[in-house]
Amino acid sequence: MLALAQWLSATPLSLALRELDWLVPLLQTVHILAIAMVVSSVFLIDVRLLDFTRSQSITETARRFMPWIWTGLAILAVSGAALITVEPMRALPNPAFQIKMALLFVAIAATWLFQISLRGDAVFWQSAGSRRSMATVLAVSAFLLWCAIVGAGRLIAYLQVS
Amino acid sequence: MEGIGPLLDWLEHTALAVSIAESDWAFAVIETVHVIALALLIGTICVVDLRLLGLASVKQAYRALSREVLPWTWAAFGFSLITGSLMFITQATEYFANTAFRIKLFLLALAGLNVLIFETVAARDAARWDGDVPVPWRGKLAAALSLTLWIAIVFFGRRIGFTMNPG
Repeated sequence: MLALAQWLSATPLSLALRELDWLVPLLQTVHILAIAMVVSSVFLIDVRLLDFTRSQSITETARRFMPWIWTGLAILAVSGAALITVEPMRALPNPAFQIKMALLFVAIAATWLFQISLRGDAVFWQSAGSRRSMATVLAVSAFLLWCAIVGAGRLIAYLQVS
Repeated sequence: MEGIGPLLDWLEHTALAVSIAESDWAFAVIETVHVIALALLIGTICVVDLRLLGLASVKQAYRALSREVLPWTWAAFGFSLITGSLMFITQATEYFANTAFRIKLFLLALAGLNVLIFETVAARDAARWDGDVPVPWRGKLAAALSLTLWIAIVFFGRRIGFTMNPG
């Protein structure tokens, strides 16, 4: 990772982009706005899964917010890749970044599985009692997982490898 | 504004401020909660603003939607304010003098003013346009201003991190 980061840092593209001192703050702002998109969507689906509101069915709520999660993740991927290109040494060899990517992999897999669970059976999560408790556990775990991802992301700044 | 120096200095020397500043992990945790809180704050505001603009949640009436979502917005705002204050007191003098911080506070005040004006003027007859998609121009303007202000608030909030000297 360190060798890759060093190699990337030395490329003409990375060097040129590092000259633009407004680029990183701008990319980070986009990154934060996309985080808002994803975290809020996860939260509002979880609120429904936990029955804090009943104005719409779980499937309707998911159908409303899942597109925002996927769009947000796409924006995070692009802005994240751009941030890595500008400052490879800041992210790639950083243990906080590596943990973040591992957690993100789990989160994306869980999101995809949730989406599939609804496709097969629209009332999957509303049927049996055990499904309700499973929904509660998954809703809380999912949100905590995303919080951990945000935390790991913040930690990147604190664990700079010099 | 002359008398504020001693107050900021006092804040920095409170046991709370000192313990956060001296801890290895406290500031990072508070910052993380701040990011999560502002993510929920902005996200939920967006849900309401996009409804006003007729771009999302169009199946729900405005008042029903806002009644459902806004309590979470207020809770998120509370957490943002608390975590923001905890971070502020650790370097009160320097944050206060920071240009990006001042702009951010000014924009926050404008966002608050926007909400106030909307609630007292545009939303008064909300029962009439509750089901409209999009709503009358006053609501659309408030929503557009709201989104613009919050994007700018995030930008200047990030700028603070880049323009503060390490504590």
